[in-house]
Amino acid sequence: MSSGDILSLLMFGSFILLIFSGFPVAWVLGGLAVIFTAIGIVLRVDFHLPIAMDWDYSLLVVDRIWNVMNNWVLVALPMFIFMGLMLDRSGVAQRLMTNFVRLFGGVRGGMAVTVALIGILLAASTGIIGASVVLLALLGLPQMLDKGYKPELAAGTVCAVGTLGILIPPSIMLVLMADRLAMPVGDLFLGALFPGLLLGSLFILYILAIAYFDPDAAPVPAGHEKVTVRLILEVFLSIIAPAGLILAVLGSIFFGVATPTEAAGVGAFGATLLAWWNSQLNLDVFRSVLQETTKTTAYIFAIFLGATAYSLVLRGLGGDQLIEGMLKSMPFGPTGIVISILVFTFLLGFFLDWIEITLIVLPLISPVVVDLGFDLVWFTVLFAVCLQTSFLTPPVGFAIFYLKGVAPAGMPVSTIYRGVVPFIVMQLIGLVVIFLWQDIVTWLPAQAY
Amino acid sequence: MQLPHTNVSLWVEKQVTRLGDLVSWIWLVLLATIVVNVVMRYLFGQGRIEFEEIQWHLYAIGFLLGLSYAYVSDIHIRVDVVREKLSEQAQAWIELYGIVLLLLPFVILVLYGVIPFISYSLETNEVSEAPAGLPFRWIIKSFLAIGFLLLLVATIARLSRIWCFLFGWPHVSAVQEPHEESN
Amino acid sequence: RSYSSKTTASTVTVTERARIHWRVPVAFSTNLPALGDNILYVSDKLNRATNGRVELEVFEPGMLIPAFSITEGVRDKKIEAGYTWLGYDQGRIPATPLISAVPFGMEPWEFTAWYFEDEGRLLTEELYRKHNVHPVLCGVIGPETAGWFRDRIESLEDFDGLKIRFAGLGGRVLQKLGASVTMIPGGEIFQALEKGAIDATEFSLPAVDEMLGFDRVAKFNYFPGWHQTFTAEHLVVNLQTWQGLADSDQELIEMACTAGIIRNLSRGEGIQGEVMKGFPAKDVTPVRFSDEILRQLEALTNEVLAEEAAKDQDFARIWESQKKFIKTYQNWKSHAYLPRDF
Ligand code: NA
Ligand code: NA
Repeated sequence: MSSGDILSLLMFGSFILLIFSGFPVAWVLGGLAVIFTAIGIVLRVDFHLPIAMDWDYSLLVVDRIWNVMNNWVLVALPMFIFMGLMLDRSGVAQRLMTNFVRLFGGVRGGMAVTVALIGILLAASTGIIGASVVLLALLGLPQMLDKGYKPELAAGTVCAVGTLGILIPPSIMLVLMADRLAMPVGDLFLGALFPGLLLGSLFILYILAIAYFDPDAAPVPAGHEKVTVRLILEVFLSIIAPAGLILAVLGSIFFGVATPTEAAGVGAFGATLLAWWNSQLNLDVFRSVLQETTKTTAYIFAIFLGATAYSLVLRGLGGDQLIEGMLKSMPFGPTGIVISILVFTFLLGFFLDWIEITLIVLPLISPVVVDLGFDLVWFTVLFAVCLQTSFLTPPVGFAIFYLKGVAPAGMPVSTIYRGVVPFIVMQLIGLVVIFLWQDIVTWLPAQAY
Repeated sequence: MQLPHTNVSLWVEKQVTRLGDLVSWIWLVLLATIVVNVVMRYLFGQGRIEFEEIQWHLYAIGFLLGLSYAYVSDIHIRVDVVREKLSEQAQAWIELYGIVLLLLPFVILVLYGVIPFISYSLETNEVSEAPAGLPFRWIIKSFLAIGFLLLLVATIARLSRIWCFLFGWPHVSAVQEPHEESN
Repeated sequence: RSYSSKTTASTVTVTERARIHWRVPVAFSTNLPALGDNILYVSDKLNRATNGRVELEVFEPGMLIPAFSITEGVRDKKIEAGYTWLGYDQGRIPATPLISAVPFGMEPWEFTAWYFEDEGRLLTEELYRKHNVHPVLCGVIGPETAGWFRDRIESLEDFDGLKIRFAGLGGRVLQKLGASVTMIPGGEIFQALEKGAIDATEFSLPAVDEMLGFDRVAKFNYFPGWHQTFTAEHLVVNLQTWQGLADSDQELIEMACTAGIIRNLSRGEGIQGEVMKGFPAKDVTPVRFSDEILRQLEALTNEVLAEEAAKDQDFARIWESQKKFIKTYQNWKSHAYLPRDF
């Protein structure tokens, strides 16, 4: 093992250790970048070790931050956050949930199922997990907690369903993967659709099961109404507006009025109109929505900035080659190789974020997988599901972090950690199913075009 | 963790909060720009690169100036599994070491690197590389420096509060807190 | 700069030469044929020819630095070198389109003739010296396609109100025709084109565009590539790093790059025919712009070039040099080659 490898491993380890100190994750990432640059330089200059590290290199962080600044795709993130906050503050979200509860109130776990369904719809309009999780948390988390749901179940549902946004098209992750592999993004979008829906269904099945076996986890509200045609009609009328909003976002993408990025702005505009329509729009609401948008956007981007510095330095120390070496030394047959790549990716997801994994691992292994005779779309979608899971896995699960930022004060990270575990199990089941039945991925792209 | 205020921290946090409140209106401008761009392109066939570029300009300003705003509100994400079991004293020590060893070095690295980044843009009179894109690129690049400078100032303010908590110096400000801790 | 390494110290020390290990970020993914893969050829040749002493470690776009920032990173020595399309610098160096891709410009070999036999190389190096960068011409490919269109273009009026993604000086020309030019990110082009958020897009060679799937969502592929008659890519090296090299190492790198140019051109020319042979099966129609349309595009191009020359001295100087060379070369070009219908 080279000195760079050892430093890379130390850098991994320090991160895991230090985030448990409770110091903000973003600054731990950024700070470690500086510390390990310094260590690398000392080892090179004073101990003559072959570590290609200097301060000039670490200053690339500025150009990388600039890349985040002029990234038009990321404009969608604050707009979706604005949309969620506006729906929340204007009472529209609450009305939506209340009405769904009238409908599904008698069903155990009905509210969590509702959140899951809205989450799946939402996943089809945004491709950015931060936005999805924040929006869903604002929409559903307080209501679930009010109704006596176990915080673990409530938080787990929001996190898990929120991550579907990056799998179900449109998805910024699939766009990056298509770009890296130079393949049509359309194939990946279509290929990921059924797996995304499959996972969504597994989540709902889990919620229904847990609610059935553990009534305390998802209590049925006392004295719920009987479901009548009249009630269904009333509920239907009341959800037309918010549902219409989500459809407007989807529709503007589908009919080519807007790019997915612009659709976020259209959604935010729609949410504002809804608030106005409901006479909930005033200066105070505006002010509070806008200020919260700034703060939420800022804490998500702080993590982006820290992470980009961290991965730059990790790459400079040779972290990529370390991973590459591990991948290449796997002693299995074709299926064994694919399985171990996926397991490896899954494990990597505990520590690294998806952009890094996509950049490092995907170009490395895709030729191998194609050589072995596997379908690249199928494999890439499997890979994408692995990475989607990585948003959920502690300790470094970005969905968990995003939720933590908007969760009611006093919900500790440990609760969220516990909450996501069963959903990770569902993810794994989904992975196995997609692995065994390739058609789930390959059928739809074969029909189109 | 409740930290006492110092004269410095009171003033700094008040100004940062004020600026953040003001900057927040940028999202409304962004929203309007997107809607106008979509309507113009779809209904009138009049897409404009300027409008596309203004979008990411606004968003970049929003999140960069938001960094310090979120910092004084203490909303940056922490993993509190261990932290919540620690005494306030221990938490303050961690915060002190974190700021000195992690946050400040990172902020200073970026601020150091941002100087040639902006001056080169200014020297070359840099414009957008898109056809008929926006001019004066140094302005938007300067917001990276402004955002991190504000973060630096907010960090020092917080450092003074921790120092005050741990060592009773500088003295606790007699004035009331300027705003509610909003997390 | 070079890092000494213990591993390469062989028992038979033929030379005491410093090892060269550069991080080389690139502007285009290396899995894009011709457009992106040439640097792999160059770095591989250098590596083999020197028994591993000279190593260019290639980094895919964005892994170290965004594609648009490569020369800036080289200038500040954050990275030693990069392989890029100089046109990405036009926001800071307005003359760069002339040395990377010119609308109604030269043939690829005409460009290399100007570059090596006339003033091209000198002017390019001079242009970049002010920016502390040494450029080495390292790859050239032929014309790109004039874009993928959802509907036919019958006349210039069809450009009015057309929503098209188009980069560079060509984009400026189309704007003059009333097109609504956008620069949506590469990854969003496919979907925007499929759903009709844009009507057309320009990107690269047919072999590259095919990989990105444009042929599935836009059925008319227009030619000739008026906006980009050649595409040149350079290895950019930090000036101090370059000057710090031994003469023989400078020669070595230039030699590898010069070889890279002809291999790049060959590869680009070699693979497009096969791709276009497959167009009918995919229901794609290759279409040529009418001469009339091309004449008018040319006139507008000259307007745009003149505007640029008026704004920037370097642009004016390099353009003059190119015009002078083109005029002289025309004496030969117009006589030497068979008319193209033979
Ligand atoms: Na999505
Ligand atoms: Na994870």
